[in-house]
Amino acid sequence: MLEQLGNGLLLGVIIALGSVALSLLYGVTRIVNFAHGEIIAFGAIMALFFSSSPDSSLLYLDRFSPLGINFLTSVILSILLCGVFGGLLELCLFKPLRKNNFGNIAVLVVTIGLSIFLRHIYLLFASAKPTSYILELQRREDYFGVQLTPRNVQVLIIGFAVMVLVGIFLTYTRTGKAMRAVRDSSDLASISGINSDYIILVTWIFSSMLAGFTGIIQGVINNVRWNMGFLILLLIFAGTVLGGIGTSFGAMFGGFIIGILVQLSVGLEFMDGHTEAKNAIALALMIIILLVRPQGIFGNKDRIS
Amino acid sequence: MKKYIIAFFLLAISFMYIFLSNETGGARVFVNLMTFAGIYGLAAIGINVHFGWTGLLNFGHAAFMGIGAYTTVLLIPHSLGREGVVISSGLPLPIAILVGIVAAALLGLLLGLPTLRLRGDYLAIVTIAAAEIFRLLVRDFENLTGGVYGIIQFSDSLQNSRPDFITRFSESYDISPAQFWVGMLTWISIIVILLILSRLKKSPWGRALRAVREDEDAVRALGKNAVLLKLQSFMLGAAIGGLSGIFLVFNYGTVQASTFVPVLTFYVWAALILGGVGSLGGPALGAVIFWVIIASTDSISRFLFESPDGQQLAGVRFVIVGLLIMFFMIFRPSGILGKKEELLLDVK
Repeated sequence: MLEQLGNGLLLGVIIALGSVALSLLYGVTRIVNFAHGEIIAFGAIMALFFSSSPDSSLLYLDRFSPLGINFLTSVILSILLCGVFGGLLELCLFKPLRKNNFGNIAVLVVTIGLSIFLRHIYLLFASAKPTSYILELQRREDYFGVQLTPRNVQVLIIGFAVMVLVGIFLTYTRTGKAMRAVRDSSDLASISGINSDYIILVTWIFSSMLAGFTGIIQGVINNVRWNMGFLILLLIFAGTVLGGIGTSFGAMFGGFIIGILVQLSVGLEFMDGHTEAKNAIALALMIIILLVRPQGIFGNKDRIS
Repeated sequence: MKKYIIAFFLLAISFMYIFLSNETGGARVFVNLMTFAGIYGLAAIGINVHFGWTGLLNFGHAAFMGIGAYTTVLLIPHSLGREGVVISSGLPLPIAILVGIVAAALLGLLLGLPTLRLRGDYLAIVTIAAAEIFRLLVRDFENLTGGVYGIIQFSDSLQNSRPDFITRFSESYDISPAQFWVGMLTWISIIVILLILSRLKKSPWGRALRAVREDEDAVRALGKNAVLLKLQSFMLGAAIGGLSGIFLVFNYGTVQASTFVPVLTFYVWAALILGGVGSLGGPALGAVIFWVIIASTDSISRFLFESPDGQQLAGVRFVIVGLLIMFFMIFRPSGILGKKEELLLDVK
């Protein structure tokens, strides 16, 4: 069972980061964003496009060749690009919908349409085969009984650092406080002089950058493929619901628990030979949580009525 | 009245398009499209009971379709899994279909009990998750369901009941008699179910459902049990979904775990939104137009790519499905036949 703990930690970081971004966006805008997974995939695919060597043609249709920039620059560029992407989505799609008084359910259906649309745009432009970043192969080593490659350890540390930074940003900065104020009550926030349109835009940008970062981490740990976002999205939902939808620290915690649980369940005896069912366990846990404590572990009761 | 004229013209244009774009074998393409449209239309009628009547966001319809299909197929003679284990005994088909429909309704009950108290968007997440659990379990428990290898050779139970005149008619027009029979049964079921639903919609029960959609608190204040009403609606829609799943697998002639991916649900939703949420005949109409659009996307692919492969064909298809869902939801949320005042759009 312990040999799965390393994989569990890695998956936990991916889901925790994805859950914070999703939960923050939900808290501020009340949008259940089914296209969240596609922003995750956008980050990963863009980083692949920037970093792969120009002569590799496996990824894009022949009219685009990868740029071959070094990996760190590619990562920063694609995270910025994700921010621009999220900002454009808000300005061109979700802000007009909000101004026209579209209800949450209509917007939810729109995000599902958006998710299908974007995902298959990726399928048209990127190969259906899983592709890896050009990073050297590493052997797994033993860290306090947990088997991980050195790069995976770096990813874990960076992932945790980003989560701490997100926490500091939300707790101490002016913008972060304003986000939480809009989340708790947008009416009260706007009478205290907070421009809620601006805060929603910032939230979209911030959440999309975080999602893009999640995608790149997922790409480094596993690989990049067109439907990676949709595959991870349901686990992210499970993490968010477990921690409490709309919370930030709750979502981080919930995401982490889901990731570890999914991987550890592979080692259970009755799961022998049923590897596919591991995701079913996470989703079943989500449904049970909704049954006994619908607001999640850290959520507020008034958010779910 | 105007929208019925528009609907009529859209249908006429769709049918003309099918026959004009296929100079040979137009009848065959027509029967193929109409069979799929009937099956998806039936499924969309199920979601319409959930969403259009009661305001429940069900994004896990694939699970209801799947459980209906698997239950029925496993109860009749079939051949299972990798080795193709032949099971030659079974229940008579009508009873198996009935059990399949009941199984779908029971899954609706099982899923509805914990979740229908929750707010709408939670239900969307839970239903899509439940459908994935269903698919993963079906895939994993191979000795029961055949897993990825699936189940084959079960169609005979249905095709043996095919009347002779259908076979003769099909042969003279060069259509597949098996598919023609499935398609015909599907459309007969649609008509019967729509007749029942039109009575139900006008009944006190149907009015109470729509009241739940509009204002749940008001329904409670009037002494109705809103959760019970939602549960009944959920089971009814799930049962209709189960029946459509049964027709779906009889149309394919096989059933695998991959038949019931989330994408199936999204197709059905697209058909529903196109036809008109909340209207009685809208889902079936939407499904026909949806399938004609889907069929015409292949020529768009050929326009974009010189010789599109399967990946590109599927990609273009789904890009258009996504655009359709977004476009209709934003610019014409009532679809072709729906009523704007019956929509649940401004709910926060």
